[in-house]
Amino acid sequence: MKKTIQIPLGSQHISLLEPIRFKFECENEKIIGVDADVGFVHRGVELACTRSFEFKQVGYVVARVCGLCAITHSLSYTLAAEKLLGYEANDRIKYLRMLMVELDRIHSHMLCLAHTAENAGFEALFMQIMADRELVMDLQEAISGNRVQFDFIAIGGVNRDLTPELTALIHKNLTLLSEKIDALIGLFNNNWSLSLKYKGVGVLRLEDAYTYNALGPLARAAGLATDVRVETSDFPYEDIGYTMILESTGDIHARNFVRLREIVNSIAMCRNIADNLPAGEILEKTKGKPKGEAVVRVEAPRGELFYLVRGNGGNMLERVRIKTPTFSGIPAMMEVFKSSEYADAPAILASFDPCMSCTAK
Amino acid sequence: MKFFTSFRKKSPWILHYNAGSCNGCDIEILAALGPKFDLERFGVINTGNPKQSDIFLVTGPVTYRSRERLVELYSQIPEPKVVIAVGSCTTTGGVFRGMYNVEDGIDQYIPVDVYVPGCASTPQLIIDAIVKALEILENKSKEIEKPFKLFGSVETIGNKLSRLNMAKRVKHD
Repeated sequence: MKKTIQIPLGSQHISLLEPIRFKFECENEKIIGVDADVGFVHRGVELACTRSFEFKQVGYVVARVCGLCAITHSLSYTLAAEKLLGYEANDRIKYLRMLMVELDRIHSHMLCLAHTAENAGFEALFMQIMADRELVMDLQEAISGNRVQFDFIAIGGVNRDLTPELTALIHKNLTLLSEKIDALIGLFNNNWSLSLKYKGVGVLRLEDAYTYNALGPLARAAGLATDVRVETSDFPYEDIGYTMILESTGDIHARNFVRLREIVNSIAMCRNIADNLPAGEILEKTKGKPKGEAVVRVEAPRGELFYLVRGNGGNMLERVRIKTPTFSGIPAMMEVFKSSEYADAPAILASFDPCMSCTAK
Repeated sequence: MKFFTSFRKKSPWILHYNAGSCNGCDIEILAALGPKFDLERFGVINTGNPKQSDIFLVTGPVTYRSRERLVELYSQIPEPKVVIAVGSCTTTGGVFRGMYNVEDGIDQYIPVDVYVPGCASTPQLIIDAIVKALEILENKSKEIEKPFKLFGSVETIGNKLSRLNMAKRVKHD
C-alpha cells in the first residue's frame, strides 16, 4: 500500500513574495495532487470602486490592485472609461502609454527571472538580475516620478511628458540594458548548472495550455500563440516593431526564454517609441459622465487583463469587474505541479510569475 | 552571553510578511536587498523563519484573513523584536481605508516601532527605517539584559507585602 504525505507551502514562506497556500500531496518526492488557496489578500477593491470613489479617481485606485502591473490596470480602466465617454486619445498619448507599459513589462519580467533564479538556488544570479533591473527602475522614476506606482495615466491622457533629456536617458539606459540581456541570454542558454534546474522541469504541454486556458508567457512558452497586443486594435503595436515570441518546450527554461526575448523585443519597441514620438497634446479635457458598458483587454506582463466597466451617467460607476491573468492561469499552474518533484516546486511557482494581489483584488 | 550579544547586534534578520499589500512595497524591499541599495551591508538577511528573526517587516493593510497569521508570526518572533510598517496602507490603511475586508493598518493588531510612509515606499526610506530599527533593537536588548536582583534587597516586610499587593489581606488576618 502506498502512502502519501501532505506538505503545506505558505501562506508565509521564504520563497513567496505574497501569501498563497499550497497543499501538496506527495508520494515520496513526487507531487501527485495540489490544492491552492489564494484569497489571503482580498481587500474588496471592486466594491470600493463603485461605492467610495468617483470615476475619475478609480484609475488610481485600481492601480493599487497590483504593484507590478499597476500601469496595465490603470491603463485598462482608463481605456474603458474613455470608451464610455466617447473619447479617442491622440497618437502621442497612445505612444507614451505604450512606452510605460513596455518599460513596466521589462521590469516585471526581470523581477520574475531574478525570483525564479533565487528560488532555484542561484543567489548570485538573483543579485545580478536585480542590479540590471535598476536601469529600468531609474528610467521609470525619471519619466513618471515614481519607481513602482506610477500614476502616469489619467483619463484623457498622461500626466507627464517626455523631454529631450529623458529621450537621451532612455537610449543610454536601454543600450546598457540590452548588452546585459544579451549576456543573460548566453548564460541561460549555455550554463550547465542552470540547465539542470530549468530544462525539462515543470513542463506544460501545448494541449494542457489550450485546455486549461493558460495565458501570457506561460502559454507562449508552450507554443500557444496568444497575445492581446495583436488581438486588439487599441494600440498600434505593429507600427513599433512588435513580434510574437514563441517557444515550444513549455518548461521553466522556455518560460525564462520567452521572458528574455520579450525583454529584447520591448527594448526595441521602447527605442522606436522614443525616436518616433508624434506631436500633440498630452492631456486633453474630457466631457460628460460614463454611461453604458465597456469591455477592455490589455496584455499585462502575465497575460490578458480583462476589465468590464458599467456606468449609469452618474459620478459613481455601477460595476467594475477585473479578471486578472493569474486568476485565469491557476488551473494550468496546478496541472504543471502534478508529477514534478517537490524540491522544484518553489522554482516552478516563481516561473509562473504569480500575482496574488491581482488574483484576490 | 556577551559573545552572543555582540553577534546579534551585527546581524538582525528580517521576516517579511505581506498582509494584503499590492506588491509594490514588497518588490521595493527586494530591490533594497539587492545590489544597488544593498541593505545587506548592515548584516540584514531576509529569512523565512520567524523564530530566527529580529525585525518584522510588514506590508499591506491587514486583510481579514491575514490578521491571524500576522499576530501568530509576531508572537513567534523572540524578544527583543522590532516591527516596521512599510507603506502608507500599512500605517493607516491608505487607499484601502474603509474597504470591507480591510482592517486599516497593522497597529490595530500589533505594536509598531517604525512607520514608513510612501506608496510605494522607496528603498531609501526602507533603509532609513531599518537603520532606525537597529537603534531601537539595541535599546530593547539593553533593557531586557539589565541585571536585577531576585532576592536579597533590603526591604521591610510591610513594604514587600504592599509591593506585592497583599497588604490588605494581612491586616485583616
